[in-house]
Amino acid sequence: MILHNYDLFENCYRVRLVASCAEVALELINVDAFPGAEEKSPEYLKLNPMGRLPILEDNALVLRNLSAILIYVAEHDIDKRFIPDEAKDRAQMMDWLGFACDDLAVAVQARAVALLDATGDVVELRAQARTLFRILDDHLTRQSLRGANFVAGDAPSLADLALFPAFALSRDFNLDHDEFPALRLWARRIRLLPGFITMPGIPDYH
Amino acid sequence: MTQTVEVLSQWVPIALSNMIETGTSAGVVAKGAEIVVWRDSSGVAHAWEDRCPHRGMKMSFGFVRGDHITCLYHGWEYDQSGTCQYIPAHPEVEVPKSICVARYGVAEAGGLIWAQLPLGSDESSFAGLPAMEGVKSVYIDASYATVLSVLRKQGCADGAVANVMILDRDGATMTIGIQPISNAQCALHITVPKGCAGDVRESILDWSEELRRSIEELEVVT
Ligand code: FES
Repeated sequence: MILHNYDLFENCYRVRLVASCAEVALELINVDAFPGAEEKSPEYLKLNPMGRLPILEDNALVLRNLSAILIYVAEHDIDKRFIPDEAKDRAQMMDWLGFACDDLAVAVQARAVALLDATGDVVELRAQARTLFRILDDHLTRQSLRGANFVAGDAPSLADLALFPAFALSRDFNLDHDEFPALRLWARRIRLLPGFITMPGIPDYH
Repeated sequence: MTQTVEVLSQWVPIALSNMIETGTSAGVVAKGAEIVVWRDSSGVAHAWEDRCPHRGMKMSFGFVRGDHITCLYHGWEYDQSGTCQYIPAHPEVEVPKSICVARYGVAEAGGLIWAQLPLGSDESSFAGLPAMEGVKSVYIDASYATVLSVLRKQGCADGAVANVMILDRDGATMTIGIQPISNAQCALHITVPKGCAGDVRESILDWSEELRRSIEELEVVT
């Protein structure tokens, strides 16, 4: 499996994090995305006409959609740790995976505007990200009341891994963690998972 | 001529006890003061100025290691008294005792962690509160006055100490710690008696989210 990767892109980190926790080997091809914009070069547009990273290649298979990539990687986990078996649990996981990959795209964009010269209104994007963090904080508070430590049950799922980077990197666009106590505790549990890795902007405490 | 301005010291709830686990830290703001609250390996809570004496990095971005808190920027380590004990760039140097983080008085009571404002107030002992359990901290974009008036309308009564209100709802007596953050923001730290049933706690969560929504709508209109 080949990941066309740029270390500072949050969405590439999401894939590396899932692969590391799921013990799936990834071959990394580092793309000069910033400032080179190599993902928009003619060769890369052949792989992904949207001109975006990450791209996952597995022989003839080419995946460009974030959740499709994350699911594909997680399914190669021999122990199938992060995709629940049971239909209901799996659906709840997918629900939050959608939140992470679709709704929280505003957080990815806010960070890209703040750090990587992308265009957009960072104040508005930050406000939208804050609203979403509140929803997640409210949800995790309810979950812990029911004895569940993670977004889709008492075990960490693919959704948790996909959600973590947006919160962990939010200080890059000046959204602090003060207001989200349940998220802070949950983020700490994610950090303790076997295979957890960081990226620039997410301090390694050890 | 020097003028002394009398500033009344005041205890302000800054977090639910159960949200600051052993070995963790968090940044909070109380009446504009930036505070790091952290819990050392023996379970004792600390509230300090959220500013590293070295270059001013927020201590709340750092991490707790045993009974020390370490600054994220250059790794200076401070002990429970706020005194710097270790500078990684100069491991051989004995650190001057004068390098200290300023501390707030801190107390833990009623399921809440309290800081005594302003910085440097004489630490007076904190009046006791009955043992309670934290349910949720709700952050609301509204002034202290607005939040207070809405709570009063809902039947909240003043608690035994300042910055605390009592509300009977859904068969439980909530004790709510109020943390004024800025002119435009407040936090409510909601606690219930130990043994309060799960479904009651869930209905309190519903209530608190609805409360936040209605107060913030009020602020938008006015
Ligand atoms: S700013 Fe804290 S160690 Fe340098």
